[in-house]
Amino acid sequence: MRLFSTRLFLLSMAVVLAASGCNLLEYSPNQAYVPAAERHLTAQNLRRLQQQPLSPTDTLRFVFIGDSQRFYDEADDFVASVNEQQDIDFVMLAGDISDFGLVREMRWMHRRLQRLRVPYLTVIGNHDQVGNGRNAYQTVFGPLNYSFVRGGTKFICVDTNGREYGFQGQVPDVSWLTQQLADTAGTQRAVVVCHVPPTDADFDPQLVQPYARTVRSNPQLVLHLAGHIHRYTAGQPFRDGITYLTTYNFEKGRYHIVSVWGRRQFRLETVQYASQN
Amino acid sequence: MRRRTEIQLLAILILSFIPCFAHAQAEADVRRSGPFFLTVQLAGGQGVVAVGGGYWLADRRLEPEVLVGYVPRSIGGSRMAVFTFKTTYTPFEPKLGGRGDWRLNPVSVGGFLNYTTGKQFFLTNDSAGRYPKGYYWWSSAVRLGAFAGLRLTHHSTEPNLHGWPRRTSFYSELSTNDLHLVSALTNKTLRIPEILTLGLGVKNGW
Repeated sequence: MRLFSTRLFLLSMAVVLAASGCNLLEYSPNQAYVPAAERHLTAQNLRRLQQQPLSPTDTLRFVFIGDSQRFYDEADDFVASVNEQQDIDFVMLAGDISDFGLVREMRWMHRRLQRLRVPYLTVIGNHDQVGNGRNAYQTVFGPLNYSFVRGGTKFICVDTNGREYGFQGQVPDVSWLTQQLADTAGTQRAVVVCHVPPTDADFDPQLVQPYARTVRSNPQLVLHLAGHIHRYTAGQPFRDGITYLTTYNFEKGRYHIVSVWGRRQFRLETVQYASQN
Repeated sequence: MRRRTEIQLLAILILSFIPCFAHAQAEADVRRSGPFFLTVQLAGGQGVVAVGGGYWLADRRLEPEVLVGYVPRSIGGSRMAVFTFKTTYTPFEPKLGGRGDWRLNPVSVGGFLNYTTGKQFFLTNDSAGRYPKGYYWWSSAVRLGAFAGLRLTHHSTEPNLHGWPRRTSFYSELSTNDLHLVSALTNKTLRIPEILTLGLGVKNGW
């Protein structure tokens, strides 16, 4: 019996040490560190996109959804549904990937979303900035403001979570956005993607008008896309001909497919993949 | 592969209870030594390295302690200190082999409360000063958690200056915290190993 205990203990230690290889070792729930394979996912997914060129004359179809925060069961259903779709180029997730801004939540969600057949891209949400979340997001996903061109359409992803910065007049970075929208070299269309829409109380109030002015300054702008409010809304709140859309969160069991083509043409489809809560 | 590890871990947890009953009558006198101990812990959610110490209670079955952990910039993105209050309860200590110096603690359980420093953390939603009431329900600075683990304890046969035997424990423990647990409880597909954190450490008492 005593010998058995010794062996059992050694076996237990061996198993525990082996388990440390599969992500059990965590220094702090607030750490930003992740293994190299799970770092810079934005850059990784953009590289995957580049490997499959898309002509600017083709219609670009992408899935648009927001707020996956703590909906892991729903994420599995979402992935299954998107994988059944034809001719989807990528998935755009409009922020709040995590609920508590913890790095493990981002990894849990990535483990599910990496089963998508197409790359997925994200923009940071307010929940992703709680605690040390901003550091975690930057390590796992990448820059808070970034842009990319896909099939002649420029996607500009911008951090609009002004409340997390105490409404200091710095976020969203309007001058960066102005630069991005002004640079139309080689593009025919532009889409702005963010988490908090400028019509929401969590958007820095002093930046609402400058932001809207900047967005409308680009004659190629097709749509302004946001998440945060967990439901579908569409309208032209600034009465300037710019359509602002918000999309569902994961809990709703629905997502949008956005198609853009031609000169500022777009179409919106709604897909229901689970019973609506 | 990951599924196999999960089953193994579960088997170890269950099996580790068996020897407890065989040796439940641990001699109380070997438990008795000085009341203070020092701790060095690696990982386990309390910092890359955490050091501290505590005071033995209840015939050395209960170990309240305070740890100060450090998270460097390379791991945290910015430097953080983690202050942890932790209590471990170790009910059994069966003897290993025939030589008498090594003892197994097949199960230790406990809880912890920690506070992480840094201006990015808030104690409460309201103290952050930028959110409306009830915007976030949790504290980003404070984590509450529970753990279970096992340990190997060595009793020195030579008493120290105070006439107390030295005692060194090597431990490993699996923990989770309130936010990871909430995530698991609200999702069927989030598996138990996904919310566990491994910590390793050593305690030395005199």
